[in-house]
Amino acid sequence: MEAFYLEIRHVHIASVLTSGALLLLRGLAFNLFGARWVLAAPLRYLSWTVDTVLLTAALMLTTIIRQYPFADGWLTVKVVLLVPYILLGYFALRAQRRKTRLLSLAGAALVFGYIYTVARAHHPLGFLA
Amino acid sequence: MTSIRKLWTALIALLVVSFGVLLWVGYDISLKDPPVPERVVTQSGQTVYTRADIQRGRQVWQSMGGMQLGSIWGHGGYVAPDWSADWLHRESTALLGGWAGGNYDSLSDEQQSALQQRLRTQMRANTYDPATDSITISDERAAAIAKVSDHYERLFGNDPAMAELRENYAMKDGTVPDPEHREKLSAFFWWTAWAATTERPGQKITYTNNWPNEPLVGNRPPASTFIWSAFSVTFLLAGIGLLGWHHAVTHGRREREHDLPASDPLRKVVVTPSMKATAKYFWVLLALFLVQILFGAMTAHYQVEGQLVYGYEAAEILPYSITRTWHTQLAVLWIAVAWLGTGLYIAPAISGYEPKFQALGVNVLWVCLLIIVVGSFAGQWLAIMQTLGLENNFWFGHQGWEYADMGRFWQWFLFIGLMLWLFLVGRALMPALRENSEAKHITMLFFLSAGAIGLFFGAALLWNEHTSLSMVEYWRWWLVHLWVEGFFEVFATAVIAFLFTRLGLIPVRIATVAVLFATIIFMAGGVLGTLHHLYFAGTSMAVLALGASFSALEVVPLAYIGFEAYEHWKLSSATPWMQRYKWPVMFFLAVSFWNLVGAGLFGFLINPPLSLYYMQGLNLTPLHGHTALFGVYGMLGIGLVLFCLRGMKPELRWDERPLKIAFWCFNIGLALMALLTLLPMGTLQLLAAINEGYWYARSAEFMQQPIVDLLVWMRVPGDTIFAIGALVLTWFVASLWLLPRREPHEVPTSSEEAEATRSARAA
Repeated sequence: MEAFYLEIRHVHIASVLTSGALLLLRGLAFNLFGARWVLAAPLRYLSWTVDTVLLTAALMLTTIIRQYPFADGWLTVKVVLLVPYILLGYFALRAQRRKTRLLSLAGAALVFGYIYTVARAHHPLGFLA
Repeated sequence: MTSIRKLWTALIALLVVSFGVLLWVGYDISLKDPPVPERVVTQSGQTVYTRADIQRGRQVWQSMGGMQLGSIWGHGGYVAPDWSADWLHRESTALLGGWAGGNYDSLSDEQQSALQQRLRTQMRANTYDPATDSITISDERAAAIAKVSDHYERLFGNDPAMAELRENYAMKDGTVPDPEHREKLSAFFWWTAWAATTERPGQKITYTNNWPNEPLVGNRPPASTFIWSAFSVTFLLAGIGLLGWHHAVTHGRREREHDLPASDPLRKVVVTPSMKATAKYFWVLLALFLVQILFGAMTAHYQVEGQLVYGYEAAEILPYSITRTWHTQLAVLWIAVAWLGTGLYIAPAISGYEPKFQALGVNVLWVCLLIIVVGSFAGQWLAIMQTLGLENNFWFGHQGWEYADMGRFWQWFLFIGLMLWLFLVGRALMPALRENSEAKHITMLFFLSAGAIGLFFGAALLWNEHTSLSMVEYWRWWLVHLWVEGFFEVFATAVIAFLFTRLGLIPVRIATVAVLFATIIFMAGGVLGTLHHLYFAGTSMAVLALGASFSALEVVPLAYIGFEAYEHWKLSSATPWMQRYKWPVMFFLAVSFWNLVGAGLFGFLINPPLSLYYMQGLNLTPLHGHTALFGVYGMLGIGLVLFCLRGMKPELRWDERPLKIAFWCFNIGLALMALLTLLPMGTLQLLAAINEGYWYARSAEFMQQPIVDLLVWMRVPGDTIFAIGALVLTWFVASLWLLPRREPHEVPTSSEEAEATRSARAA
């Protein structure tokens, strides 16, 4: 499995960036320009597919580097922060009020950014370390 | 004689003849199974093993999980090797190495060929002497056996030098802590390899019909596997042709136009206390389903990390052999609970009769089922932890036979539970069975198929602790095969047709004839098709010939399952009120789809003798297993649960979104699991088994390649999607009790519905 480490890491990073970009673009298009097409089925399916690939690659990487969530702090933080990221992402597109949607989108972007710095630093405090 | 009576006569005659032949084959197997000798001695007179050693070794193997950790003669788990093939290869190389003075690899091709010929002659010779009840082997072979035995004793113990191999095989450290038990275990493994390489008296074929493919000892597929594979394809095509002709002749011979009911007939059914009591069956089955998925995920993950689950040393408490045991057991159990619950729900609904204390019986049976699940699982765990003791293992621990793993005590308990279920269903159905109407035939078919499921579990009680391996396999496949490829198929066909007649969508007479005909077709291949599991289980060539011929016929009705699916789809929109049953019918459609793909295509892929010779125990087997067991019976179980819930809570408005998500998650998840992992991995193994030998396709060397690891990981997307489906379905069922939503409008009157139905028909 180690033989594919670099490829899997690239897939993981690419899907992280795609996932974040998709949420941001869909959130902005919907909330700023009222674009309904961002809620269309193909885009939703694309988003789920990217997230599934992201998750699979992440699980593969944990077993290759032998570091695991709830055993290594930085991975624990990443997994725990996934929950608010998913919830905020959901509200950014689905909440009734526009203000809630925009605040959720901003929150999701912040959480995403923090997770990114945790991943880069391999430290639970991320850019604060 | 009416056509219904003729069909009943044909069915009874078919079953008498088929079971007569099947029993005769069982007798033949009992005469020709490989002998377990009183003693294995060397030419110089030293005793290597005794019968007691071999039998004790089998008990040890069963207690550590048996077929759930590696396999014997190709039957069992897929991560650890096939112990018979692995032993055979190791013994062969040890013997060659011994003759070459440890330098076999440095010999020239000619020298190697000469030694290989010597090996073949020695290994294939049958030295069993019935007069002395002993096998005589050379001293050199005894030395090779000692070497391989040492390897196994260290592997199943705690030797740090073997830690990596144990991890690769997903074995816990100290799988068999007792050194004496490990020694006996080796004796059993040796005997299975001996049977696989020793020619039957007076024949040029081994006890296992030359299985496994092992070029070193000259194990190659015998000519009969080619011949019977060709014939099996021919029989399949002939069967498809005949059934096609029958369809062409009978197509369009419909009875007079059938008036569809103006309103849902089942809405008028009074939900009795015993019908309400079945709700807890459906809650429990969903819990079992979720736990089964969890153990499935752990079992699959052990293929990557061996003893860890994302860093947790899970193998210390829940090793691979127990997670796989529970995963396979739960699959059967939750599907069985779905059917038990359905039977108990439907019986009073049909007859309109609630016998005295029926609800109490339903509740008692439910408690019994819980005790059986918890009790048998606890026994299996204690057995695998090697704390139960061999003397208690057979009755209360782990029998080690895949799908029939629970201890004998728990098997008897389950059998009694199934009889109680039959009694409860039968007494509630009695008024409907006594009715002198056309409907009683289809009610009888439903009851008989349910009865056969209950009674045929009794096959699991027909072997004992020391029954020969071949005969255990024979009875085990009575249980597994006759259930899934016989009575389950009949039950599925009968129950679905039965529900449609109760909904008034199909005339009773047409449904009765169709179900009787389908039962004859299924059982024509299904009963003797049992033998296709036994081609290489120490059985004679008759098994191979009969199994190949009749199991090909099992696929014939599946080739036409599109007709049935289309009928169901049409019926789902036959009346406006059928919208209420949209999702149960969608799950029935999925049953048809996976019956074709999982049971028909992936089943026939591994079915002809030549195919199975190489494919048995490779990942192409779980490809068929997962897609057929969940795809057909799992989907059917869910469809039946939804059908019963629709009737149990008729006043509720269903939120269809979770059902839609669950439905597609199950289908997409299952398809991804099959196409991204099991099919490609099985195909890679197949190439290795053909080119290098079976042992190699199952070895750590092969299974630890990066490409195999990658394919295992490719299960994650499909499995995740599948698990989401199960969670969403559970949420849907829970919401019927936690957040019930009443229908917003009154049910339309009969005249309004009649008008709507007329409009729909006109459209």
